[in-house]
Amino acid sequence: MIKKIFLIFQRDLKTSVRNFLTLYILVVPVIFAVIINVFSPGINDTTVEIVLLEGENPQQIEYFKQFAKVELQATLEDVEDRVRKRDNIVAVLPDQTDEYFILAQGNEPDYVVDYVRNLTAFDHFEIGMEDSMVEIVDYGRDIPPLKKVMVNAAMMFVSILGGMIIALNIVEEKTDNTISAIHLSPVSRIGFIAGKSMIGVVVPVVGTLLLLIITGFRDINYFHALLMVATSCIISILVGFIEGINNDDVMNAAGNMKMLFLPLFGSIAGEELLADKWQPLFYWIPFYWTYKGNALVLSNKGSWLDIIRYSGIVFGISVVVFLVLAPRIRKGLE
Amino acid sequence: MDEGMNKMIKVSNLYHSYSNDDNYAVKDVSFEIKKGEIFGFLGPSGAGKSTTQNILVGLLQLQQGKVEVAGYDVKHIKNKMFNKIGMSFEQSNVYNKMSGLENLEFYRKLFDVETKDPMDLIKLVGLEGKENIKAGKYSKGMKHRLTFARSMINNPEMWFLDEPTTGLDPAIASEIKDIIRRKKEKGVTIFLTTHNMYIADELCDRVAFIVDGTIRLIDSPKALKLKYGEKLVEVEYFKDGELIKDSFSTVIKEEKDRLVEVISKYDIQTMHTKEATLEEIFIKVTGRGLV
Repeated sequence: MIKKIFLIFQRDLKTSVRNFLTLYILVVPVIFAVIINVFSPGINDTTVEIVLLEGENPQQIEYFKQFAKVELQATLEDVEDRVRKRDNIVAVLPDQTDEYFILAQGNEPDYVVDYVRNLTAFDHFEIGMEDSMVEIVDYGRDIPPLKKVMVNAAMMFVSILGGMIIALNIVEEKTDNTISAIHLSPVSRIGFIAGKSMIGVVVPVVGTLLLLIITGFRDINYFHALLMVATSCIISILVGFIEGINNDDVMNAAGNMKMLFLPLFGSIAGEELLADKWQPLFYWIPFYWTYKGNALVLSNKGSWLDIIRYSGIVFGISVVVFLVLAPRIRKGLE
Repeated sequence: MDEGMNKMIKVSNLYHSYSNDDNYAVKDVSFEIKKGEIFGFLGPSGAGKSTTQNILVGLLQLQQGKVEVAGYDVKHIKNKMFNKIGMSFEQSNVYNKMSGLENLEFYRKLFDVETKDPMDLIKLVGLEGKENIKAGKYSKGMKHRLTFARSMINNPEMWFLDEPTTGLDPAIASEIKDIIRRKKEKGVTIFLTTHNMYIADELCDRVAFIVDGTIRLIDSPKALKLKYGEKLVEVEYFKDGELIKDSFSTVIKEEKDRLVEVISKYDIQTMHTKEATLEEIFIKVTGRGLV
């Protein structure tokens, strides 16, 4: 049974990669991740980059590495070439009098040059972190809030993509008239549905992992994230089956899946923008609870109990939807 | 040997209504098919052929009656049953985005029994050299042959063929018929659904005529011809330089004697027994044409 489910999944994956539309859907998580990185400051980004001469002053290299991204080049010419490139990297180089000078293109922001100048001075006077008398008090928000919202929304969006691919694959089976052939093989109806559903889980899970890794959320609890993704994709899988059954055209099926975007973005807007008294209006939407659960996952503040509570609510709503849609799905695949 | 053990299909009092009322697409259909037999299910479009066949293979739910296929009760179908049966559909149904070979490779892995080498089947149906082309680029005939090949992949004991030669050119149709004959020689039981009386006449051991959901007659083509054909011989011969056409009864003594005389005295050009075709018999029995 498991082998046959996997075979059906494998076939779906193979043909999905051969179809431009589904191939595009498969790479969307990576595109999202890159866009998020471009439009929001990264949590792991070091804003200042310095290029140094390799082996010239090992102590200085170690010191700079604490506060900036350091690149090493073998020769002076290599350093000069590197500085001439388009980014804001600057070089710190020794002159003939054992002093250091900063080599820059001239169009770098002032704060970059000033920061490197200060670092060079601190290193010269051997000033370390322990010399600072400043106490840091913060609200514990180490991730840019916009980035968290964007990644959270992207995770939910990716869960819909799996359902979209299911819809396209069902339309393919219908237009090729192959469902009847599968029903005349020793694959049970449940096995067939399970095999078809697998891509709706694998795409969101892999997509979310890629999304989290590329956007720099590497220290969160990945099991929490996977639990939230696994439960949130159930609704998309069910809608994917229904849209596949109801449509004979690939574009219509993909287009109709967009109806899920309304509750998705509505949930985000409701949670982020509306007062507490309006929140119950969104309780019936699984995406609302997914969004709250994902927010805890991304801020790494959720306990297992919190995550199980939110994923449990999503699962519960999905089960109700499943009970309503299952007869239609079963009949539609006859 | 138990008579029942020798039957691959047993259908009794089968009824089916798409609207779940008394408007039956199939009414009180009963028949049995022996192991190793080719059974033709003949009738015009909408007669109930596909409905009956789809119930036999489990694509339609059995509503009323009793159906056994390859020893399995169709009311409670077990997936194992599909290891024993194969079906070639009238409308080709293969994955267009996969090559011919990939289609067969995928389908073979779904079975729990020993399967045929996909390449052997590709060769058998004349698709060698085209096996790596996506099925979407195949012609209608090539897709039909691929569907036909797929139906053999699990070495079925019970083989359902729905219009197996429709839309194929005569040479390929002839090859398909040869394959069907070879399968019969190996003991495969074949349920052939068609409205083509010629292929039924050539291949079937017995045929059933179905019209308006009811079976009107079941018999062998030979017996039907004997029963419904006229017992006449038509002869063309030259007599005094003139071509004469005449017919002689094969049961009236005087005419039989006259036929012997004509054969011995004159130059015979053509001579045929006046057998009825299956199509003529069908029209005579059912009062309906086949289209």
